[in-house]
Amino acid sequence: MEQSVTYLGLIPLFPLLGSVFIGLLHVFTCNKTKLPEKLYGILACIGPVLSFVLALKVFFALKGLPAADRFLSHKAFTWFSVGELHIDMGFLADPLSCLMLLFVTFIGSLIHIYSIGYMGGDKNYGKFFAYMNLFLGSMLVLVLGDSPVVMFVGWEGVGLCSYLLISFYSEDRSNVLAGNKAFIVNRIGDLGFVLGMSFLFWGIGANGFDYLSLKANVQHLEPTIALVVCLLLFVGATGKSAQIPLYVWLPDAMAGPTPVSALIHAATMVTAGVYMVARFSFLYAGVELAGSIVAWIGILTALLAAIFGMFQEDIKKVLAYSTVSQLGYMFAGVGVAAYSAGIFHVFTHAFFKALLFLGAGSVIYALHHEQNIWKMGGLKSKMPKTYLTMVVGAFALAGCPPFSGFFSKDEILYSALATGHYGIWAVGVLVAGMTAYYTFRMIFVVFHGEPRDQHAFDHAHEAPAVMTVPLIILAVGALFAGFLNLPAIFGGNQMVTHWLAPSLTEHHPHASVFVEIIAIGASIAAFAIGIKIAYAKFGHGASAPSYTGFADFAYHKFYVDEVYNAVIVQPYKAIGSSIWKVIEPNVTDAPVQGVSKLYTVLGTAFKVLQVGYVRVYAIYMVLGLSLMSLFLSQSLN
Amino acid sequence: MFADGLFIGFAILSVLGAVGLVLFRHPMNGAMSFVVTLISLAGLYALLSAKLIFALQLIVYAGAIMSLIVFIIMFLNIQPSDLPKEETKLFYILGGGIVVLPIGLFLAKIVKSMPERSTEIIGNNFGGVKEVGLLLFRDWLVPFEIVSILLLVSLVGAVILAGKRGTIK
Amino acid sequence: MIHSYLYLSIILFCLGIVGVISRRNVFTVFMSIELMLNAANLAFIAFSRVHESMDGHVLAMMVMAVAAAEAALALAVVILLHKHKSKLDTNVFSLLKG
Repeated sequence: MEQSVTYLGLIPLFPLLGSVFIGLLHVFTCNKTKLPEKLYGILACIGPVLSFVLALKVFFALKGLPAADRFLSHKAFTWFSVGELHIDMGFLADPLSCLMLLFVTFIGSLIHIYSIGYMGGDKNYGKFFAYMNLFLGSMLVLVLGDSPVVMFVGWEGVGLCSYLLISFYSEDRSNVLAGNKAFIVNRIGDLGFVLGMSFLFWGIGANGFDYLSLKANVQHLEPTIALVVCLLLFVGATGKSAQIPLYVWLPDAMAGPTPVSALIHAATMVTAGVYMVARFSFLYAGVELAGSIVAWIGILTALLAAIFGMFQEDIKKVLAYSTVSQLGYMFAGVGVAAYSAGIFHVFTHAFFKALLFLGAGSVIYALHHEQNIWKMGGLKSKMPKTYLTMVVGAFALAGCPPFSGFFSKDEILYSALATGHYGIWAVGVLVAGMTAYYTFRMIFVVFHGEPRDQHAFDHAHEAPAVMTVPLIILAVGALFAGFLNLPAIFGGNQMVTHWLAPSLTEHHPHASVFVEIIAIGASIAAFAIGIKIAYAKFGHGASAPSYTGFADFAYHKFYVDEVYNAVIVQPYKAIGSSIWKVIEPNVTDAPVQGVSKLYTVLGTAFKVLQVGYVRVYAIYMVLGLSLMSLFLSQSLN
Repeated sequence: MFADGLFIGFAILSVLGAVGLVLFRHPMNGAMSFVVTLISLAGLYALLSAKLIFALQLIVYAGAIMSLIVFIIMFLNIQPSDLPKEETKLFYILGGGIVVLPIGLFLAKIVKSMPERSTEIIGNNFGGVKEVGLLLFRDWLVPFEIVSILLLVSLVGAVILAGKRGTIK
Repeated sequence: MIHSYLYLSIILFCLGIVGVISRRNVFTVFMSIELMLNAANLAFIAFSRVHESMDGHVLAMMVMAVAAAEAALALAVVILLHKHKSKLDTNVFSLLKG
């Protein structure tokens, strides 16, 4: 049973209104007197903070309801109604969307506050915050939507904002190209999403196309159609959440400002794919093959990205590949039907990845936009707060107990092992070790040892409070968030899993304690080995390596981008240009021009009749009259 | 009996006059034969008991309009060289006749389908000045006034058209 | 019989049309138009006799008035044309060509 609450509609509305307002302010003043940056900053943070307050209200409202009835809904207006398809712009707050709502608004607000400091001095300050608010509004529409169509509205909106924000520094063409790449690759995924939605509607959409109706009707869906729908929706997820084969946009997306990378490409937008699979858990739970495909693609993506991450030299690219890798883990989790484990990893990952990105931003800000780790070094004495918070984030990412990353990653690996997916578990453990290695490689190279660029080092300073306070808050979250879902073996009662249960169709595997201990032990061992190797190679100051052989191949990301370019992009461009040069002039333009030429010819032909003698015109009239009377006298008969 | 003979006479005269109009080269000759047509038409109106129209036809048409036309023909002092050389006149007339034939036949067919009525001469209460006047100034008053405006317009137009070029600019 | 009058009217009307389309002399053309108007007048009077109502007579009077007005204007135009080109041929004036 759902209760209808109007304030649900306000949650995405506040950031969207803020975006419009700030955008208008920017447009009307950017060429005249500039408004003070503080004004934009305060206006920009009002929307997200208000949304966070309302999210808390939703949380407490849901907590007050009995577990089976935890649904709040609100239908803002009827969007369109055509035949059997009736779509309202409706919002649904159930435990799953409430959890997403909480961390999206919380981390969104923190990053907005951080950006007040980071973007200082930029001439498009107002535009940045307009886009960020627009993004947050779209993300909230995505999370709160009560039907796949409303979610798709948000899906497209975040894709748009991702493009706008990646190419924010638009004077540099390469940034614009990166934005284009992100948008286009995303679009390919969106095609899969739309096709999946269409098949779903075709199958069971006749009795309502919102999640609750679909969940009630899902048993009527034929198995083949269900498999097709699951795979097509997952194609959309690979685009949005950067899995194989559509992950290529995420590393390039680091061309955007660092808060953008933190918010969009770490904490919120890229997790939309995982959220979508969890939302459709009623569908995926019935199609085991789809789940296996999702899980395998996820874990292989994790492996591939971890390999790349081990050899990158740009601090943001390391974190980007780390994000792709962790997203792979999340998909592995939801693929083996451990939906709550995947969502819990989304939750903890948001905290520590945003923390790591914001910390990297702090380092970049301090070194005046230097991003190459082989030009950094020894910064721990100069930037203690950044160093400590980033170390917390690194431990969480690498999966060290008792940090949050350990609990969430371990939950996924345990579920893989308990449901019999031994291959996935083994690859997952390997990737955990590689994660620890590349994370601490980054930490050791950037913060330990001797500075490699003395000049930059001398000018480095700690970031202002408006940037370090969010770091500290996120570090607290990264440290303690894991205890929200403590498994029974450690004495906890898995609060998050139980909270999410009404929204998900999940069957929790019950394996023996022995299996659990193996999983935990393997995870800890992988972490230990990874950090030990990293310490051995980089802990005492290392210089920039030169890569050969496999390392060089991995440094160039297996040349995947070049292969895509040669196999897909260039032929497509060739087709386009051949259509432009050959088909268009002859096939589409020629008939149209031919018609106009026809009229000219006809006109010249009829010009013969215009002799200029009025007598001849009178003859024409009489001729016409005569023919008419011929015809009429026939019919008069 | 006498009326039928009169009708045939007038009819033949009017057709002959019309043929003459179409065939004569010099417009003066054509105008004269047209006057013959008009007068015989007046006689036909009289046979149809249209007393006023008979008189008006003679006064207005044959008397005023034709005399205006004849006056202009004479005024322009037409030399034989001014007249167009119409060698192929007969050819065109025959062609025109063929083109016009369907129209005539169509109209004849319509007429044939109408019922026959007699055309005896009615003496009283028909066609005289009093009857036409009553109708004209009662039921047809507005058209009457509008026709007078029409005449005014044509008067003004004729003055403008025929005035000296210099003074009108 | 009324039919005879109507046939006569038709003959005169057709002769008028023939005169308009086959002659090149402006006066002949103009007078052929007057001939057509007279044929129509005859038809009006004939029908008015059939219905024994005076409406036809009144209309015939209107036609005559219109013919008079039109005659005045047409002749003024003929005079001007003659002044311009000193020819009475309708084929000479062909500025509308094309």
